[in-house]
Amino acid sequence: MGYTFTLRTIYPYLGELAHAAALTLELSLLSIALSLIVGAGVAVLRRSRSRLLRALGTAYVEVMRNTPLLVILYIIYFAGPGMGVRLSSFAAAVIGLSLNSAGYMAEILRAGLIAVSTGQFEAADAQGFSRLQTFRYIIFPQVFRTIYAPLGNQIIAVILASSLASAVAVDEVTSWMQTTGSTSFRFFETFVVAAVVYLVLCQLVNLGRLALGRLLFRQGESAR
Amino acid sequence: MNPDWLAYAPLMLRAAGLTLWLSWLAMLIGAVGGTGVALLRTSRFRLLRLAALVYTEFFRSVPILIVMFFCYFGVPLVFGFDVSSFAAATIALALHASSTMSEVVRAGIESVGRGQWEAAQAAGMDRVQVMRYIVGPQAIRVVLPPSVGVFITTLKESSLASIIGFIELTKTGLLVRESTDGGLVPLLALAALYFIINYAISLVGGRLERRFHIGSRSDLVGAMG
Repeated sequence: MGYTFTLRTIYPYLGELAHAAALTLELSLLSIALSLIVGAGVAVLRRSRSRLLRALGTAYVEVMRNTPLLVILYIIYFAGPGMGVRLSSFAAAVIGLSLNSAGYMAEILRAGLIAVSTGQFEAADAQGFSRLQTFRYIIFPQVFRTIYAPLGNQIIAVILASSLASAVAVDEVTSWMQTTGSTSFRFFETFVVAAVVYLVLCQLVNLGRLALGRLLFRQGESAR
Repeated sequence: MNPDWLAYAPLMLRAAGLTLWLSWLAMLIGAVGGTGVALLRTSRFRLLRLAALVYTEFFRSVPILIVMFFCYFGVPLVFGFDVSSFAAATIALALHASSTMSEVVRAGIESVGRGQWEAAQAAGMDRVQVMRYIVGPQAIRVVLPPSVGVFITTLKESSLASIIGFIELTKTGLLVRESTDGGLVPLLALAALYFIINYAISLVGGRLERRFHIGSRSDLVGAMG
């Protein structure tokens, strides 16, 4: 077939792409921040003394890890009007992505907490550290080191997952590919361009993680 | 008026069967392809190693949905033959699964010590024999448990097939929702069905992990689905 790859055909759509890319970035950043907060809450629940709260935390993680994000997005998107709340598609996407990602964040943070043995809390206490000081100087640096690599992976996962927002009518990069492709019949070019946007975003996270890791953890120590 | 939800149960269960079939097929192709890519990554030739690395990194850094769109809308335009939504979904899912599986298989191969390769070669085995009799059986221990995680991810990602119009579980739920009064019940039922299927699979995975005494279920990059 006479299909020739010519990027020039989609020049007129590049302005919209800039908007779409900004929206993908905004969506990802908001969801990452929110899911960190929710995830921290769930991680604390999972280490609670109360059995009920622990079970609640576990149930949350299991539900989020075993249900497709798309279904969660639809539930939130369609639940709004039923409960008399008008959610914009952007808000629905942020909530869905955050709730889903929080299930994974909780596990990452929990692993970080487990890595610090209880003896350290006691030792810090015996040294006369306050709770805040213990957290700031003893616990946090160790937790951060453990969660550093998986946190980077999760950030990339959220960026990729933000593509599903196109299913609830958010005009981000995947939606741009789909609409531009079907109006210009240039699916090959739009695919390549969209892929490059995601590749660049993901590789930026990767490089940033490497650079920051080298800065924070001095060389020779394991933090990929 | 409440619709008779139970009347839709057989429809949903059959759709769940389709979702399982789609995911299983994609996983199978992904596992075979991933093993191939992993072997390329341990190849003696630099060019082959590089090609395998680019393949893995590409499919891990690109959302599966745009790959699916390309397979479904792009391939007919570029190559001039029609692709069914089922085929497009299977291929896109398999490409993604193969990139994660290649990492899993590579970790499996690397878990077998270098000395064993050398010993087997000293005993006169060729590369294929070493893989078949020495490395393979040991690597499978390391490969199997995380593969369960990849399968669950693939199963969740298979819901994206609904976006290109393949009528699997998610699409069926949406259609039921439209044909009734647009309530949340069909969507919640969807979530419950996916949860039951995936949770059951993850329990099997947990047993495998315990049997083989290795780390917990690892969701790899891009595993959110």
